[in-house]
Amino acid sequence: MKISLRWLKEYVDIPTDDPLEIESVFASLGHEVEGYEVLQAPFTKVIVGKVLEIEKHPHADRLRFCRVDLGKGDPQEVVCGAWNFEVGDVVPVSVPGAVLAGGLEVGVRSIRGVTSHGMICSARELGLGDDHEGIMVLDPAVPIGVEFTEYVPFPDVVFDVSITPNRPDAMSVIGLAREFAAYYGTEVRLPDAAPATVDRPSAIEVTIEDTKGCPRYVGRQIDNVKIGPSPFWMQLRLRASDVRPINNVVDITNYVLLELGQPLHAFDLDEVADEKIVVRRAHAGESIRTLDGVERDLDVLDLMICDGGGVVAFAGIMGGEESEVTDSTTRVMIEAAHFHAPSVMFSSKRHGLRTEASARFERGVDPNLPALAAARAARLMVDLAGGEALADVKDNYPSVVTPWQVDLEAGEVERILGIPFSRAVIADLLTRLHLDVEGDSPIKVTVPTNRPDLTRPIDLIEEVARLYGYDRFPETLPSGPAGGLSADQRRDRRLREIMVGIGLHEAQTMSFLGQSELDGLNLPLDDPRRAAIRVRNPLREEEAYLRTTLLPNLLKAAQYNVSHGMPDVALFEVGRVFLTEPDPGDARIPHQPVRLGYVAVGRTGQGGLHSSPRQTDVYTATGLARALLAGLGIVCDLRQATPGGFHPGRAAEVFVGGERVGAVGELHPAVGRAFGLEGRVAAGELDLAQLISGRWQLDPPSTYPRVEFDLAFVVDESTAASALVQAVAGAAGDWLEDVEVFDEFRGSSIGDGRKSVAMRLVFRAPDHTLTNEELAPHREQIIAAVTDATGGQLRGV
Amino acid sequence: MDLLHELLTGAPARIDAIVDLESLSALESELLGKKSLIASTRRGLGQLPPDERPKVGAQVHEAQRRLEDLLAARRELLERMAEDRLLAGDRVDVTLEGYEPSVGRHHLLTQTVDEVVDIFAGLGYRVASGPEVELAWYNFDALNTPPTHPARLESDTLYVEYGEEPDEMLLRTHTSPMQARYMEQHEPPVYVVVPGRTFRADALDATHSPVFYQIEGLAVDEHITFGDLKGTLAHFAREFFGPDRTIRLLPNFFPFTEPSAEMHVSCFACDGSGCRVCSGSGWIELMGCGMVDPNVLEAVGYDPQHISGFAFGMGAERIAMVRHGINHIRHFYENDVRVLRQFT
Ligand SMILES: [Zn+2]
Repeated sequence: MKISLRWLKEYVDIPTDDPLEIESVFASLGHEVEGYEVLQAPFTKVIVGKVLEIEKHPHADRLRFCRVDLGKGDPQEVVCGAWNFEVGDVVPVSVPGAVLAGGLEVGVRSIRGVTSHGMICSARELGLGDDHEGIMVLDPAVPIGVEFTEYVPFPDVVFDVSITPNRPDAMSVIGLAREFAAYYGTEVRLPDAAPATVDRPSAIEVTIEDTKGCPRYVGRQIDNVKIGPSPFWMQLRLRASDVRPINNVVDITNYVLLELGQPLHAFDLDEVADEKIVVRRAHAGESIRTLDGVERDLDVLDLMICDGGGVVAFAGIMGGEESEVTDSTTRVMIEAAHFHAPSVMFSSKRHGLRTEASARFERGVDPNLPALAAARAARLMVDLAGGEALADVKDNYPSVVTPWQVDLEAGEVERILGIPFSRAVIADLLTRLHLDVEGDSPIKVTVPTNRPDLTRPIDLIEEVARLYGYDRFPETLPSGPAGGLSADQRRDRRLREIMVGIGLHEAQTMSFLGQSELDGLNLPLDDPRRAAIRVRNPLREEEAYLRTTLLPNLLKAAQYNVSHGMPDVALFEVGRVFLTEPDPGDARIPHQPVRLGYVAVGRTGQGGLHSSPRQTDVYTATGLARALLAGLGIVCDLRQATPGGFHPGRAAEVFVGGERVGAVGELHPAVGRAFGLEGRVAAGELDLAQLISGRWQLDPPSTYPRVEFDLAFVVDESTAASALVQAVAGAAGDWLEDVEVFDEFRGSSIGDGRKSVAMRLVFRAPDHTLTNEELAPHREQIIAAVTDATGGQLRGV
Repeated sequence: MDLLHELLTGAPARIDAIVDLESLSALESELLGKKSLIASTRRGLGQLPPDERPKVGAQVHEAQRRLEDLLAARRELLERMAEDRLLAGDRVDVTLEGYEPSVGRHHLLTQTVDEVVDIFAGLGYRVASGPEVELAWYNFDALNTPPTHPARLESDTLYVEYGEEPDEMLLRTHTSPMQARYMEQHEPPVYVVVPGRTFRADALDATHSPVFYQIEGLAVDEHITFGDLKGTLAHFAREFFGPDRTIRLLPNFFPFTEPSAEMHVSCFACDGSGCRVCSGSGWIELMGCGMVDPNVLEAVGYDPQHISGFAFGMGAERIAMVRHGINHIRHFYENDVRVLRQFT
């Protein structure tokens, strides 16, 4: 809410005008200042003058020639086009050299042959209001000859304060004045809310049919009002708070709303049928044309104000056009009511109508405020609109809300805040907030009805801390127990370290997918990744599903880089995917396993003068998986497979301890095309939960030399190299240190559909130097085993 | 013996005059070879009277040793000079790029999260992660957020189609549901940080993203106080932004903490005097925090009469943006390699 500092200072003494200092007081009270604006008087060199003579302009019927006493020297001679003043009136006069609102410079000018030394000013010319029909006629008590700036509320500072939702009481000038009074230990000055009254019975009749929606309704009648503009100071304050001035009666209701925080509404009583007010829910089929000119069909849950004829206003939100105050209004009914927050919230939301009134009712207004606010408005209507306030006030308030008591132990304050607070200090701080404090243990605290947020001891402890000052608490540390990262968390960190170390950049992509990304993956129809959970209210259709795989968004990220001139991209991401099956730990929610995904396109490895990067292909994908798992100390097994989305001949499934943990390889060319990527796309996706690394006992390295020999077998094209390696490992015995495929060869010498696979076998014994003779029987066993397992034939090496 | 003496006197100058290894070898065979004076003298020892033999023998030995030393020293010098000449010719432009293994980078968000997590792990906190698709109960109800709270609106929260009830399942809007889950599963004391993805129905703009990271902290124990909250966050601020940082807490409101505060850190860029980084205020708003509301403790079965705690939650993007001068949140999710490789 926007609030003028001058207005605030009307109710509380603030020992500074420095906006930054005041901003920091607001902040320390928990009311964040989102900004402030310093307002200067929009004019210079305007003097208060008294009209001495008025003559007709000799050459223009519509102009008048005036002599104005400016307190010293000869009377000023001014030509004026306004007719709303008379001899003896006190008026603002701009003298030559003055600059008015909008930058108008005032000089000595000849107007139709008569010299005018300056001009008598209207409110608009002075930037004090919209009125430009006539000049401003001032209070006769304003002394002649003084600078008019002394009589306008400038300079001023307008603070834009953000009030937290728990503090409806602070959404008013007086509410914030109370906060400053509590801060400085002073008192607020309440505005005058005692109108002179007329002892005449009011004809208003109020019936509340729905006392839950409307626990209180005050109707107050003001007769004989004269509708006109409100005084410029009121208009300035309303404008500062972003409220548009309309007329004196409406402005007064808005002014009191800002001043006290009680929303008010003014009805033209002559337009209220039968002078009868009924508060009830709307009937089916009813509608209302609200003050913003919109015809609105009502819901049976909308709480309405009705008269003898039907609905006339939205309770707590906005009035209707029919009964609005107009220039011809003479009898006014001030409505000051209390409406139930959820009811106002419902209608405000349903009709998309948010107003200053609804914002306050939604948060909760003090139910004991309406009568006071109505009286304050009545006082202002008597003073500023010439009205007669009837003493007969209709106040329908069946269940009076009274202050409540909260018991507080001083020890509790210390337990939560960490430093001891004496009963006296607690009492002082709470009393500043106008809470009544009695007793010692417990301290019995009575909370006024404008503080609905204070119902529990912890709420009072917060107030103690707030007023004591958060700044004054010491900084201490709790003595926590031993903690740190879990084994899985350490594993995940190492995993990321390895991925980065082997050349991939880590990515973070959105958790959403669109249907087109799911389709682009070229998955079989029954692939579980197609069964993505849908977001009910997605921001965009591209974000309508939760990702079931990390690959699409990684592909999009790769494509983004390629299209921005970086053709060689290798990215990985560690993140959750969302599956439809229930979570193993909590069956109420979907399973959300953490996955590692990676994608590489273009070339991998550093390019340039001395390096020869490789075009990515299936071996990029498998190599990355092997390097990662080896780095994590995980024994893995890659099996030729055709996982969904991958190239049918260039992909593998990854197994750890017999469990499938994911798939790696080249993506199907259709996937690359769908995501706008050319060439072979290497990718992989692994389930992290299943990457469990074992713990090993030290195997002391042998000090004896190694012995190696090569074996090559001609096998069928379909035989996996891993099958040969496994056969070797199974038959070689304990001395085998390493076996590596170092060549793969096809050619006419071998025959169609066959290939030669050459392996290097390394042996070493822990306790002696091996000889070829010793290894000969092992060699025979190995050859037999490989032949057995793969049907391969030993090839002369 | 005069001949030997003469030989020794003249040898150093002759050796030092040699400038190539070949000539040095020739001189070496002249001085020490079979035809050398040393060799002939040694051969003639037998003809000497027995009483002279040891003396002359020693003189020959000494002469040979000295010549050998002189020759060896010269050889070493000449060899070194030869190598120096060779190396001087073997010169490359070392400013050319090397045989560089390609190395990736951690994403800045992960780095930020890890750094924050490590600071709290050092204070004895455990690290927990939680489900991102979450029950509304944990996201709102367990955290003292009433059914009418506007945060539950579809304009704020993304709901997912899963489960039986229409408003049951959502994408968590903060990491705080893990407060309730963790406390349900653990008895106090609880010291835990929860980093993770969170979601809001916000379109991407400079400071909002539908996906963002939060880091939640929770300490619940006997005797946890507001001062402990302050001290813990001050420790964090100094670890993360530098040892000279101070913090301030300003009263605020959150449904799940009471008292609640907004934590500000003194600006690391201007040391509090006001600059562009801190919008002139000298302070940077970092996170919301407060003492865990008794209702939250009660909801998980803790006794708020004996147990108290504090909680805090910060946005990883926000603190990374502040620290690294990043002006748009899209830089985190575009995964532009030119951005990724800037942060290590
Ligand atoms: Zn700064």
